[in-house]
Amino acid sequence: MSDLELSMTSESTIPKKSFPTEWLWRAVLPIALIALLLGFAAVDRSVLSPGNLLNIAQQTSYLALFAMAQTVVILTRGFDLALGPAVSMVSVGTALAMAGATAAGHDPSTVLLAGLGAGFGLGIACGLFNGMVIALLGVNPFVATLGSYNVAIGVATTLSAGRPVQGVPELFSQLFYGGSIFGIPAAISITLVIGLVLHLMLGRTVFGRSLYIIGTNPRAAAVAGLPVKRILIATYVLCSTLAALGAIMMTARTGSGEPNLGGSLSLQAIAGAVVGGTSLAGGRGGVGTAVLGALFVTILSNGMNLTRIDGYIQMVVLGAIVIIGVLLDRLRLERRQ
Amino acid sequence: MSTIVTVGAPRGSISLRSIVGRIGFLPALLVALVVGMSAVDPQFYGLINILNILRNASLLAIVACGQALVIVAGGFDLSVGAVVALASVVTAKTMAATAAAFPGNTALIIASGVAAGLGSGLVVGLINGFCVAKLKVSGFVVTLGTMSATAGVGLMITSGIPVYGMPDVFVKGFGRAQLFGLPTAVYAALAVIAVMMFVQRRTLFGRYVYAIGGNVDAAVVSGVSIQRHIVGTYVISSVLAALTGILLTAQVGSGQASFGGDRMMLQSIAAAVIGGVSLRGGVGRVEIVAVSALFLTILGNALNLLHVDSRLQPVFLGIIMVAAVALDEFSRRSKARV
Repeated sequence: MSDLELSMTSESTIPKKSFPTEWLWRAVLPIALIALLLGFAAVDRSVLSPGNLLNIAQQTSYLALFAMAQTVVILTRGFDLALGPAVSMVSVGTALAMAGATAAGHDPSTVLLAGLGAGFGLGIACGLFNGMVIALLGVNPFVATLGSYNVAIGVATTLSAGRPVQGVPELFSQLFYGGSIFGIPAAISITLVIGLVLHLMLGRTVFGRSLYIIGTNPRAAAVAGLPVKRILIATYVLCSTLAALGAIMMTARTGSGEPNLGGSLSLQAIAGAVVGGTSLAGGRGGVGTAVLGALFVTILSNGMNLTRIDGYIQMVVLGAIVIIGVLLDRLRLERRQ
Repeated sequence: MSTIVTVGAPRGSISLRSIVGRIGFLPALLVALVVGMSAVDPQFYGLINILNILRNASLLAIVACGQALVIVAGGFDLSVGAVVALASVVTAKTMAATAAAFPGNTALIIASGVAAGLGSGLVVGLINGFCVAKLKVSGFVVTLGTMSATAGVGLMITSGIPVYGMPDVFVKGFGRAQLFGLPTAVYAALAVIAVMMFVQRRTLFGRYVYAIGGNVDAAVVSGVSIQRHIVGTYVISSVLAALTGILLTAQVGSGQASFGGDRMMLQSIAAAVIGGVSLRGGVGRVEIVAVSALFLTILGNALNLLHVDSRLQPVFLGIIMVAAVALDEFSRRSKARV
């Protein structure tokens, strides 16, 4: 019943001739971003310094990657609460594999491969678990990923004995953090490339389009002959693989495998996606919304840090922003109808 | 969806399957766990351990009852863990402040502290309910936001430092006291469960909450005021979380912003879900949720006694939770096929 109703409302929300207001609504977030930057700059000039802008871009690239991962599953009316712990697990696994391979006396490229293999392997395993439990066993995504949340925390802390794992080789850090392509720092260029590929994938491939159909109306997707279960599994694997890539980049930054790296990332990634305008009801959102949301959250916390706003107040502000962001999105939807 | 469930249960034929379907497999699991642990480790049924289990299970059960009510209405409350922390520090701060203003007036000190603690929960619940019911923002997002905000306020009040200065009567005479050999928290939990059972079964509010969770449209058509009842579920959930925060404060003897947290929130959802509350809304009973809270507490206790590495324990919790819900889903499907 509600499936049908939802699909009908979202069909009718496709904008046709509401040109001016529609553009205004779309511009709300970018305008808010610029206003935010200028506002912080009025208090502290250093916010707009080239160094800090680069810093913001770099910080955004990690959160954007996680928000993109989260967006992919949210498109199908899903969630991945396990994203944060999976990041911790991948970080620890990657560092351990590389430290082990180095100790065994392998050459640097083999060490690197071992690390990447372990990292992506753990990420894919987590995604497969989530996808299969959700698609094949029919378990609610919230519960399924809450389950793997616990499992991943357990694995991460057990593997690392709760301590940072040292022994990450210089080459690895150089490749995923220190290096740059055409003068653009590694983290930013990787996220740009991935974002572009994902954008094309969501917009131009059968797989990408089917995510929107499943999110808009799962029953119609099944009736239309889409292999919904297989697509869902692939979606969660994609999400966890992106998270694993982000984890590898963050591990390269810190230079050690951290069992607490993921911390509150699950919720931050959901917040980033949702603030950007990804709909939790499924079927609406994309790379653009994820990047915008991540940029917003990052600028907000960067600006509050530079203007020395108490860290505890920042939590209150972030909470309020998430709610307001979703509220604005709902109002926008209503205006369209 | 909910129609399938009600139609699916055949009347008259009392087979083993329908009994299992009605009571669930949870009590069986609980009994197996208790019997198994008693056989393995005599420490398990020692008085100290049993009291420990009951005290922890009571605290979890109170939070889980509120969580269950919200989920039955089709929502989610991610903020309960943060409310436990906020109520704890607000209670302790208020008691310390009142004690400084009116030294010796113990009754007033305790009353003001408890009122302030419950009041803080009430405020968070009202904000949650208002945003969900009036502003129509998804419950997940709203409580995600208030979770962050509430935790921030709790830390801000205390700067992360435990708050002392509560009257001795509150800590030794209430929090750590035992009545007929049982901790006071157990009586509080039993009272909460009894009241909530009554609310769910016998009050209009309780029945309407089922109706809203089962089918919002039908509830609207039947003239149920959706908004007021949804606000009610969030308020009850937050106030119960605040109660747990106060009990925890009385037991530990200080107000701490580190109480509750994500762990309490996730466990309360796990307890509700394992206790048969459907995330689709409309289904679930608090008494089974309470049993499920007891089960989760005993499970954690058993893993401790068996010397399972505390780091590995979340793995078990995660797998059991997913398995419980998968089994539930499986039985629903096989019922639907009949």
